[in-house]
Amino acid sequence: MKSVRYGWQTETKDPMESNLDSKEMMNRFLAEVERRAFQMAKFATGHRDEALDLVQETMLQFVRRYSLRPRQEWKVLFYRVLRSRITDWYRRTFVRRKILAWLGRPEEEDAEDPLQSLPDTGNPNPSDHVIRQEERGLLEKGIRALPPRQQQAFLLRAWEGMDLKQTAFIMKCSEGSVKTHYSRAVHTLRALLEGIYS
Amino acid sequence: MNAKDPEKLFLEKVQDFLDRGTENLGNRTERRLEEIRGQALMAAAQKRSSFLPPRRWVLAGSFAMVTLAAVGLFLWLSPSTETLPAGEIEDLEIITSQERIDFYQNLDFYRWLGSKEDHLRPNGKGL
Repeated sequence: MKSVRYGWQTETKDPMESNLDSKEMMNRFLAEVERRAFQMAKFATGHRDEALDLVQETMLQFVRRYSLRPRQEWKVLFYRVLRSRITDWYRRTFVRRKILAWLGRPEEEDAEDPLQSLPDTGNPNPSDHVIRQEERGLLEKGIRALPPRQQQAFLLRAWEGMDLKQTAFIMKCSEGSVKTHYSRAVHTLRALLEGIYS
Repeated sequence: MNAKDPEKLFLEKVQDFLDRGTENLGNRTERRLEEIRGQALMAAAQKRSSFLPPRRWVLAGSFAMVTLAAVGLFLWLSPSTETLPAGEIEDLEIITSQERIDFYQNLDFYRWLGSKEDHLRPNGKGL
């Protein structure tokens, strides 16, 4: 049977993977993407537990829908499911905020991630360390503050290394829209960090 | 790498920042991610066991289609040999006619009456 081919697909196939059974292949794949998926979800939600819930929903939906698809399609399909879950989360949050505002209750404050306050022991130079911490804080706030579509385009292109076609497929939009979202995100973040790099 | 390209430098810094963010997520988060992965693998195993592989679906579908086509062709080509028995045709006429049912119950009387009328009208005239 010839499977459906997407525009972003390539012919490349890892020869090592043919020796693995499907469960081990899936285990390796999920272990490879879970941390980045969690970080992406955390940038979107700002909450550890909500990010974990989104990763859980994504993984379950992904294996139910696409586990029988060829291995080389998994990454793009996984991020497509994650993007869809994140979009649903934005919708749910929007409705919840509206209801809370209507009831006159104050919105819950975002909990501070305790990991962010831990010192970076990987860098022994104190002056460099201060700059790094400042950079990190600014970058994290900057990425979180990006509009959802810009954030998704930026993380997929700059971090995951997806090309335009793959990103457009994941975000369900045109390649032109991806270019626009990505360049706006880069412009915003660069402007934010200009003081540090200059 | 072009060291003078500020956008490349910026992107490398961002990638470094993002990669470092995934290195140490904390024990609680890492354990939870492992649990989630385990659940997903179980769901994947269930899915695999509950479905035939795609190639087998194609074979099963092809076999069903060929069988259906053969049966259809056989029925279409074979001539109809059954004929309705004469008695059943008479019954059918009675059922489908618009006459009242008591007409058929007294059919002998009407036949006798008809023969009498014919006898009284030798040239199509009479009564």
